[in-house]
Amino acid sequence: MGMVRHDAYTLLLQGENILEFINGLSTNLVSGPCTTVFTNRAAQIVDVCEVIPIGPNVALVGFGPQKDQLVNHLSERILDQPITISDLSNLNEVFIGLEDGQPPTGTTVHQSLFGTMYIIPSKHEWQPTWTVEEWTEHRIANLVPFHGHEIRANVHPLACGLGELVHPQKGCYVGQEVLTRMRSRGKLGHRLARLENPAEKATTVGATHSLVLERIQ
Amino acid sequence: MDCGTCDSAPTLQVHAPEVVDVSLTMTEKATSMLEDAFGDDRSHALLVGVLSGGCSGYMYDLQIVESTETPCQELNINGFRVLVPSASSHLLDGIEIDYVDRLMGGGFKINNPNASSSCGCGESFS
Repeated sequence: MGMVRHDAYTLLLQGENILEFINGLSTNLVSGPCTTVFTNRAAQIVDVCEVIPIGPNVALVGFGPQKDQLVNHLSERILDQPITISDLSNLNEVFIGLEDGQPPTGTTVHQSLFGTMYIIPSKHEWQPTWTVEEWTEHRIANLVPFHGHEIRANVHPLACGLGELVHPQKGCYVGQEVLTRMRSRGKLGHRLARLENPAEKATTVGATHSLVLERIQ
Repeated sequence: MDCGTCDSAPTLQVHAPEVVDVSLTMTEKATSMLEDAFGDDRSHALLVGVLSGGCSGYMYDLQIVESTETPCQELNINGFRVLVPSASSHLLDGIEIDYVDRLMGGGFKINNPNASSSCGCGESFS
């Protein structure tokens, strides 16, 4: 068991019908805490976010380098809805892994697709209990895709192990027609696979095995 | 999560599109359908709005309202009050409101010269 530091941003969305707003723009059925994927019209990933209701507001935790793209993606679609976005990234540190001991006071514990996530107030100066290598070996052993490796901006969620975040029946969202067509025609293009080293075009390299997005069609 | 200081967290600047003076047209068929719906009563208005979501990112939203708190431009089209939210004006300038009479997918339809694409059902655009 252990936790590794995650290069994450934390946004707080305040206003009315925030969960509905997120639900209308992302692949998963969003009605409470969950992990969901924001995609563009070509169904390519904008970012994969943790949805964490905080009272009447909702926190979105995503991958740091994708923050500007995600904020632009959301803000263009707010229009006249009473929604504001605040950036809590400097106030909190985000850790991901397998639940590890008692987190400090004020920690939000969230069950993500990638594992247990701790969002810890920065003032605690909490330190990771896993090395990046330990996290990497855990991901490879359990076929867990992750930001900056398998999850990249030019990939669609069905090709990188995020299929369970693409709800089959929720209805329209940006990119839905493309993803539904891929599924119904069985043309996913790639799939996440674990291969022995050396693996060509590995997206995550471990000691003995690697993760790759293997071409299937 | 540190939310005790949320109020002091910086509010991010959201995309604020330019408000444009909207012009729109309505086909004879759409006008006829509105005459049926409104009768002689002109106290209500047709609100033509845009919501986020749908396969292409935005969805049309038509409502009959008496008034709205949303800042709107009010137009008089073929004798009807038409309200267009200012925040959506850049997406709706130049549209034509039509009415399509068919068993499936019938009803009011928006023809939008600003839309670069539309989804199959015609309700969503970008």
